[in-house]
Amino acid sequence: MKNPALPALCALLLAACNPAPEQKAAPTDPYDISRMDLKPVPSKVSNERHKGAFAEGASLSNVPELKPLDPSPVKTVRLDTTHKIIEIAPGVRFSAWTFGDHVPGPTIRAKVGDRIKFSMTNRSDEPVPGVRLTAAPMMHSMDFHAAMVSPQDKYKSIAPGQTIEFEFTLNYPGVFMYHCGTPMILEHIASGMYGAVIVEPKNGYPTKADREYVVIQSEFYAKAPGKGDKSGVYTLDGERLRASQPTHTVFNGVHNGMVKNPLPAKPGERVRLHVLNVGPSKTSSFHVVGTIFDRVWFEGNPDNQMRGMQTVLLGSSNSATVEFMIPEEGSYIMVDHHFANASQGAIGLISTAAKPPAKDLEHHNMPSVEASPTDPEAVKGQLAFQSKCLACHSIGQGKKLGPDLAGVTKHRSVDWLTRWLKEPEKMLQTDADAKALLKEYNNIPMPNQALSDAEVKEYIKYFQWYDALPADKKPQAQGGH
Amino acid sequence: MLRRHLATLLAALVPAAALACGYCVEDKIASVYDHAAVAKALGERHHTVYFHVDGPLGKDERTKKAIEAAAASSAGVDRASVRVNVETLTLGLSFDPRRVRLVALQSELEKKLARQRLTLLPLRIIEAPGDLATIHSR
Repeated sequence: MKNPALPALCALLLAACNPAPEQKAAPTDPYDISRMDLKPVPSKVSNERHKGAFAEGASLSNVPELKPLDPSPVKTVRLDTTHKIIEIAPGVRFSAWTFGDHVPGPTIRAKVGDRIKFSMTNRSDEPVPGVRLTAAPMMHSMDFHAAMVSPQDKYKSIAPGQTIEFEFTLNYPGVFMYHCGTPMILEHIASGMYGAVIVEPKNGYPTKADREYVVIQSEFYAKAPGKGDKSGVYTLDGERLRASQPTHTVFNGVHNGMVKNPLPAKPGERVRLHVLNVGPSKTSSFHVVGTIFDRVWFEGNPDNQMRGMQTVLLGSSNSATVEFMIPEEGSYIMVDHHFANASQGAIGLISTAAKPPAKDLEHHNMPSVEASPTDPEAVKGQLAFQSKCLACHSIGQGKKLGPDLAGVTKHRSVDWLTRWLKEPEKMLQTDADAKALLKEYNNIPMPNQALSDAEVKEYIKYFQWYDALPADKKPQAQGGH
Repeated sequence: MLRRHLATLLAALVPAAALACGYCVEDKIASVYDHAAVAKALGERHHTVYFHVDGPLGKDERTKKAIEAAAASSAGVDRASVRVNVETLTLGLSFDPRRVRLVALQSELEKKLARQRLTLLPLRIIEAPGDLATIHSR
């Protein structure tokens, strides 16, 4: 006869011999969707026009600055849209469209779990003091990549005079782009309507940085004012825009801006850069000369970590937070290592000195446009030269891969230069001087740039302008080292 | 009447259901929005209305011109205000509400566009500065 208590007794003994492993608490998934705040609140559109500051909110900073995190869990942010003239390079005043009256727009800093209460008035119809040449008022919108919301409800376009309000919670850490999403989106972004949202992990970053900055890379497609246009204002070049042929590729909205105003850091300090490539159409190979990225958090999220990186590749709207040490006194050069972009202005410095000497700028293609021609064709030629030629040529700063072009119009005829710029490969077969040049420059041929007759003329006008300048008026560092 | 209600219902559904990013109602309006024309209309107490153009619409200059001509020749319409975007299938125009009611204007336009088998869905109307009102809520 079986004892009915026996099975229970056996089970008890077995349990005593093989104690159950200690119950470990399952790790919490920081990306558990069920814990995220996805509760929708409908947007509101009204006819109430905000008349105060164009940008408001304790969480806002203007690049490259990044204020400490505002501890409030609810961040009220206002970024009104405006049309204004900005200077993207010395002498290049561009008709821009903005968020918060800045290009790039102010950076929003917050952390995971924070609520953003956003409002925006379309003030593109407000007159700009002293200038009557901004683009016509138009509809605009806001698209936050940091948000998880219905685009049809939150990102809808509003007319001049209207205000939109919506809110969302930040669920993922990262460096996120915001931009205008009104068609043609390409034109709105290329005109300056973008910025960054820095979202820290809920418990902060795993490292402690001594310096923290924001670097936003973007392109401009600027068309010089036509003949007879005395405004001097550059406008968006639609053809270049659609062909992805920028005239300027810049950090933080200004050609070589952080060369003139370097970001300070001291030897031994750890620098954290939040880098966003806005595009709209080019990639960025972001690199800092003289150091190695100790950490790269792709898209600004420490869970996407890489160590010991030299360069980080960013597509349009990609970002990374990079950290590195400043090993010793010096100027450390931030650059898009795609040097066609760098030569258009995507260069900046992190310097242990407030104003580093120009000789420290060892790196590549840093044109200064302190002196500029006034003839529109020569202006175009200068822009094209700075965009396409500085990787191989300087003007007045010595030989590079190709000749220094200072004085070129004095010892070459316009006809020769025209043929050379138009069909260099033919010249290399038939022209003795061209053959000699090839030999002198290590058999590196001048590439055919498929220039139009007008473009060739513009280059020559620029060279003629330069050569006609008195020696003491010639600009320095036109593409030198 | 039923058709009218159906049209307004469809217009309300267009942004979320039928059109991809960049082509919701406000984006369609943005594609033909002309601030100078709107400001002029408001100054004359005229209204500016935006329609979705439905039907076999060719994305060519000829079709665009045909719609522009139909709109510009309709009673009460401000000729210079007519804007057509065949990519986003949108028509915008200003009109004098004292001369023609919106319902009558749409009806006349649709008669003119019947040969092309095009119909119009009213999207939004501007009657006051900063206004962009939904038509079905009126």
